[in-house]
Amino acid sequence: MNLALRARPRLLVAEEADEVAVRLAGVTKVYGKGRGSVTALDDVSLDVGKGEFVCILGASGCGKSTLLSLIAGLDRATAGRIDTPVAHPAVMFQEPGLLPWLTVRRNVELPLRLRHSADGERRVIVNRLLAMVKLIDFADSRPHELSGGMRQRAALARALAQDSQLLLMDEPFAALDAITRDSLHDDLTRIWGDCGNTIIFVTHNVREAVRLADRVVLMTSRPGRVGRIWDVDIPRPRTLDSADVAALATEITATLRLEVSSDDR
Amino acid sequence: MTTARLARAGRALLPRVLAIALLTGAWQLLVVIGVQSPTGVPLPGPGDAVGAMADLTRQGLLLPALLNTITRAATGYALALVIGTIIGAAVARVPLLRSAVGSLLAGLQALPSVVWVPIAALFLVAGGHDENAMYFVVVMGAFPSIAMGVMSSYDNIPPLTFRLARSLGAKGPQLYRHFIFSALLPGYVAGMKQAWAFSWRSLMAAELIIGSLAGAGLGTLLDNGRALLDLPEMFAAVLTILIVGIAVDDVIFSPVERALLRRRGLLAA
Ligand SMILES: Nc1ncnc2c1ncn2[C@@H]1O[C@H](COP(=O)(O)OP(=O)(O)OP(=O)(O)O)[C@@H](O)[C@H]1O
Ligand SMILES: [Mg+2]
Repeated sequence: MNLALRARPRLLVAEEADEVAVRLAGVTKVYGKGRGSVTALDDVSLDVGKGEFVCILGASGCGKSTLLSLIAGLDRATAGRIDTPVAHPAVMFQEPGLLPWLTVRRNVELPLRLRHSADGERRVIVNRLLAMVKLIDFADSRPHELSGGMRQRAALARALAQDSQLLLMDEPFAALDAITRDSLHDDLTRIWGDCGNTIIFVTHNVREAVRLADRVVLMTSRPGRVGRIWDVDIPRPRTLDSADVAALATEITATLRLEVSSDDR
Repeated sequence: MTTARLARAGRALLPRVLAIALLTGAWQLLVVIGVQSPTGVPLPGPGDAVGAMADLTRQGLLLPALLNTITRAATGYALALVIGTIIGAAVARVPLLRSAVGSLLAGLQALPSVVWVPIAALFLVAGGHDENAMYFVVVMGAFPSIAMGVMSSYDNIPPLTFRLARSLGAKGPQLYRHFIFSALLPGYVAGMKQAWAFSWRSLMAAELIIGSLAGAGLGTLLDNGRALLDLPEMFAAVLTILIVGIAVDDVIFSPVERALLRRRGLLAA
């Protein structure tokens, strides 16, 4: 697979790169060496199309965060190839990772400051994002003064401020109440529809995955591999409690349950 | 609002005032029960010491000595700050340097800087550079704390901070300006605070032993008192040294450190 990829004519690869936002080919990641080593990912191959919204499900510890950090280029794969035309994917880490010395506004502004965007433009963008995540009233607070869910929302605003064509999100809504989560689902879907970016979204919530994704990827654990993939053909706008979403979620949950319990053996 | 703030300041000050009163009382008690040196010189009381401070001030001895000492301390400290920062940054960032001198720095930090006084006296004072001898002792006392402050706070930057910086595409100067400098700041200030204590200590030892042609300092005052068996003068010098040491920490380092920590939520409100 690896060899076959490299052997292709250049032109074709370039043409394909137009449609593929992320290509994983035989990606393996081993932490540590020798007896104590952990194979987090084993021979993972997956193509994510440009503009696609992919949700990744899988038991805790199956390698989802590892996969995202490899795609983000923050870590190196032990074997295999990762191709993405996007230089700096926006990452929303599993922990909020806000800088404790900056106010919420400053944290959200950071990607724009690093890009030297003009003051006026920056204010407009940041105010819009802060309003979206409902943190306008906390713009001048410091991260330690926020609740866990507020920190996640601030981190979401920062990731969106980066305005990257590829957005990697690691359980971004895990700490939110159902209502806030639902409204952020709407916002995220709208932003995704407007700018046509590619989103890879890790979650433990099957309904959330079905509500958001074009495709749901279920990972198996120990070692982490791509298990099953579902195409979600439910027309948008979707809601969390629509019958179609619930039906597919039930099917996926059943498979996930098998997967997780076989992992306990 | 202002009265509330005054009340808060009063509450914060009260324990200190009490502690000082208690110590002064204990000191006075020693005087009352008649403690004296083996040669029969009686222990001066707090009143005598303050009186001696006033006398020394009137005679025009205290303020110039204070000024000399503070100038020396500030110069030596500034040198130590520059040297310590450069060495700390280099050791933190260059693995080879770290394995070479990392543990040496910790050793130097533990080494009482008084040990440099005789050496400085021999090499520098004999050459006619007595001010340089003092700077040397101060720098040797203070720079390891600064360097260790830089090094250990660099090591304590959470990996997530670097991952975030990388994912935002921050490299070179941007990485330093927006991430590393700010992350280092609390540890750096803690190192500066400790370095001040060490440099003040070292300077007193140097002044006491080396003295200076360029001008008497507080240490010289103390040594003069000893030579003349003028105990109140000695105590006046000790009190002044103590007060300056505390004041610099109270006015400069502690507020900065507390403000930094409070802003980051690392201090119980
Ligand atoms: N830096 C590391 N060093 C060693 N092992 C690691 C490291 N990071 C992750 N692992 C191991 O790799 C495996 C996958 O971890 P990962 O964080 O990718 O899981 P995950 O799917 O994101 O889990 P969760 O859903 O709980 O967040 C785990 O077994 C973990 O112990
Ligand atoms: Mg994870």
